[in-house]
Amino acid sequence: MITRFWAETATALATLLFGVVIIYGALEFGVGWDSSGPQPGAFPFYIGCLIALASLATLVSTVSRRVAGHAALEAAFLDPPRARRVAAFLLPLIGFVLISVTLGMYVATILYLVFAMRFQGGYGWIRTLATAFGTAAAFYLALERFFQIGLLKGPLEPLLGL
Amino acid sequence: MDNVASLMHGFSVALTTHHILLMMAGVLLGILVGVLPGLGAPNGVSLMLPLTFSMDPVSAIILLTSLYWGALFGGSTTSILFNIPGEPSSVATTFDGHPMAKQGRATEALSFAFLSAGFGAMAGVVLITLLSGWVASFALRFSSPEYFAVYFMTFASFIGLGGASPFKTIVSMGIGFALTSVGMDSVSGNIRLTYDFDILLGGISFLIAVIGLFGIGELLQTMEEGLKFDGVAAKVRVRDVLSTAAKMPRYWFALLRSSLIGIWMGITPGGPTAASFMSYAMAKRSSRSPERFGKGEPEGVIAPETADHAAGSAAMLPMLALGIPGSATAAVMMGGLMIWGLNPGPTLFTDRPDFVWGLIASMYLGNVVAVIVVLATVPLFASILRIPFAIIGPIIVLVCFTGAFTVGSKVFDIWLALLFGLVGYVFKKLDYPIAPLVLAMVIGDKAEDAFRQSMIFSQGSLSIFWSNPLVSTLMAIGLVLLFAPLIGMAIRRLRGREVTRAA
Repeated sequence: MITRFWAETATALATLLFGVVIIYGALEFGVGWDSSGPQPGAFPFYIGCLIALASLATLVSTVSRRVAGHAALEAAFLDPPRARRVAAFLLPLIGFVLISVTLGMYVATILYLVFAMRFQGGYGWIRTLATAFGTAAAFYLALERFFQIGLLKGPLEPLLGL
Repeated sequence: MDNVASLMHGFSVALTTHHILLMMAGVLLGILVGVLPGLGAPNGVSLMLPLTFSMDPVSAIILLTSLYWGALFGGSTTSILFNIPGEPSSVATTFDGHPMAKQGRATEALSFAFLSAGFGAMAGVVLITLLSGWVASFALRFSSPEYFAVYFMTFASFIGLGGASPFKTIVSMGIGFALTSVGMDSVSGNIRLTYDFDILLGGISFLIAVIGLFGIGELLQTMEEGLKFDGVAAKVRVRDVLSTAAKMPRYWFALLRSSLIGIWMGITPGGPTAASFMSYAMAKRSSRSPERFGKGEPEGVIAPETADHAAGSAAMLPMLALGIPGSATAAVMMGGLMIWGLNPGPTLFTDRPDFVWGLIASMYLGNVVAVIVVLATVPLFASILRIPFAIIGPIIVLVCFTGAFTVGSKVFDIWLALLFGLVGYVFKKLDYPIAPLVLAMVIGDKAEDAFRQSMIFSQGSLSIFWSNPLVSTLMAIGLVLLFAPLIGMAIRRLRGREVTRAA
């Protein structure tokens, strides 16, 4: 099971990596001084260093608190029932994103709501379909008609003539 | 007297039917985002912002600030009726507000909350009216080193006074600064930190970050808690509101103290959340009957609500006068001003007085409109929360992702919002503060410009930050704020040693 200690450590390592990536990216543009002042990479370079150092400090303090036997670090980061609830919400959400970028956001909206209401919420088909299509239509009217902003469309909308 | 004349002119700008309607629309939308968990003031404003790009700036800012007031009110409604804070800043309101509602005094609790919130907001706006012109003209003397010192002060106070681990605050802030430097460098025109991904050429919008971190991240956390709405039904009758209003003067001292706490926390970047907790703690400590707190004491509703709203409106002062937002929501609004082509800061007062004073006048009107609208619509919004979360949750997800796409019509932003959502969830669970990240993303470019220009003035010597009394004072305050926890620790150690010596 993932304890808080491992979650803290993994996050600190991830931010450390992020800092190093920023430092690496900044070095490409020069971090010193030229005729016009500090080079473009200088500011990101110091920011990267700051992130990396602060991540190291978090890492050190996490490990030292573990050595000192801090109880809070042994607590579960995510116990099984909580993990299940998060997964039941997160996985359809990721599915929504995948369908959005392939089939467009209107199709994804309808499919996602149908899945969440019919298969997770246990609602009847009529209420489910009414909510799903109603929501998509509301988005269409509010954004495309009223605010004149187009949503991401896939291959299906042209077939319907929208 | 100058300010009063300007304010009157502001009222003439703000008081049109079109603007009053926008205020009502903004307040209603605001209450909605405030009531729904996962949607709060910062991402409510972020979601609306792309829709205002085509509006004129005065109407747009009136809509967004009204949305902000509405969100603050909506957050307290759920705190009292459902024991679920719709906004982090209304957590303290649950302590006494929900017990009052359970005792059948829901109307009283709501009326106390809204009226004291209105009082707090007014106190904040009066302060803005009196001080903003003065602060702005003072700030006109600032040049790059002074600006950098003020930015330094802002972030130092986050690190020193934020309450979270200082290292985690630095990491969060640094990530914000790093993300904002992706793309075009505004000084040299170079493209930076894109790692040869074309998609990063345009940079990363802070709006996506807010929508992901606050919206998706908060929803994931809400789902993890497995939340159930178990509310108290409320009907608001005019007679009850009036009888509660008649009791308000009795709490004049609590109102005054809480307003001052709120204003202070709003101007310094402590923010509304810290203000409401501090005000609640002060009210409890100084009360003659502290044992009544937590069991339905009206003062326990009044204190956090007044401070919350005073901080919320006072946070607009540094944003307008200095170009430094005092809260995450103010940061988003400031980003909006820059997108509309306005330059927040002292020059705004001379360049666009109609905008500044129109906005300030709209804060007076907006809060009055908000109190009335929120009292009238409590039953409606309470019934929204009776819709099961299996429907509301996914719809909030849809609103967030749709909002993310409308920012720049980029598919990449949808992925980015998902990524920020996951980061926001982990960061919240591990107590990484998120506001510094958003603030750094909004003012990162300005802070970097100020730093680079200072360095050009001084030929690369850091001594420019100590070159005149003004900048030295600002830097010194920043350093004190930065090391506040260490200083506090040292004092406690010393005291502890004296105690042991005495024993």
